[in-house]
Amino acid sequence: MTEIFSLYGQPDSQGPAGPSALGFGSGKPQAPQNMGPMCFQHQMVDEGGPIRKPAAMNEPFYLLRELPMENELTGHTNLITHYNLEHAYNKFCGKKVKEKLSNFLPELPGMIDSPGIQDNSSLRSLIEKPPVCNNSFSPLTGAMLTGFRLHTGPLPEQYRLMHIQPPKKKNKHKHKHHRPQDPLPPETPSDSDHKKKKKKKDDDPDRKKKKKDKKKKKNRHSPDHPGMTGAQPSSSSLR
Amino acid sequence: MAEKFDNLEEHLEKFVENIRQLGIIVSDFQPSSQTGLNQKLFSLSWNFMITGLQDIEKCRQQLHDINVPLEVFEYIDQGRNPQLYTKECLERALAKNEQVKGKIDTLTKFKSLLISELGKVFPEEMAKYKAIHGDDPPS
Repeated sequence: MTEIFSLYGQPDSQGPAGPSALGFGSGKPQAPQNMGPMCFQHQMVDEGGPIRKPAAMNEPFYLLRELPMENELTGHTNLITHYNLEHAYNKFCGKKVKEKLSNFLPELPGMIDSPGIQDNSSLRSLIEKPPVCNNSFSPLTGAMLTGFRLHTGPLPEQYRLMHIQPPKKKNKHKHKHHRPQDPLPPETPSDSDHKKKKKKKDDDPDRKKKKKDKKKKKNRHSPDHPGMTGAQPSSSSLR
Repeated sequence: MAEKFDNLEEHLEKFVENIRQLGIIVSDFQPSSQTGLNQKLFSLSWNFMITGLQDIEKCRQQLHDINVPLEVFEYIDQGRNPQLYTKECLERALAKNEQVKGKIDTLTKFKSLLISELGKVFPEEMAKYKAIHGDDPPS
């Protein structure tokens, strides 16, 4: 595109150039005389490209350029295998990654799946408006601790939800350290349905066997036997 | 590299656990014979919280070169798993990789086709061109 601009928009051009001078219409184009070095100087100021010699560029073909330097790494290579990310790819894209934050941080207490904007605890607000504080942390003296005297009785209702945890799922592996029991929230209708569904599935092992047999029969009769899963990177297409 | 993350993670877990226990003490404080004990635990917990913050701040020096993309914070603020961000990055990278490879393959085929057709129409000129640039490598 720079070549076209230089040919069209030169302030020092001597009169309007005809179509032949631009290379359209009549066979081979005529090499521009006064415009030549200027327009090629324009082209030399490329966006980050190397400066090329003007003399060699006109012979034997007009506007013949040197080929660009070949990069070893292009989009032609599979960048995931190049940077040894196959394991990471299979880990994140091969298996189903759970949606909720509590699945990533199962031991973190509190309701962390709710959006941070609701209770003004978002990380974004912390970055945009960092709290003003001193440079160092100094321990509290006895006199300062008297300011944190506890009053008897339960917390007001507006503050009670802060220590409630979502219902924990039963894990196969037992944790070594046991925490003191936290007050659990009342079961929601969605949780009870989920548990009922789980019970149904566990009580019918015969159903699983029947499903497996059906799948095997389908695979035998289908024309295409399923091979590699769709989630894995297709190595044939990228080689 | 994993050690400095493990160190920070350990300090954060201890700090969070301490805060949780403080919350349990504060949630329903009853006057009983253990009042003194609770008060002691409470004051100890407060000082432990401050030392916990000091330990977390010490970990900062080891992690000054770690950069976290801001988009991950959006996932966390929405209550979503940050591993989904990694998954989407990998999927986008693969899709773009395949797209660019397709373009390269198409342009390579076009180049070889153009050179062969130009060679039929302008044999002398194409011979000069090949003399300058050499024969094209097989695609």
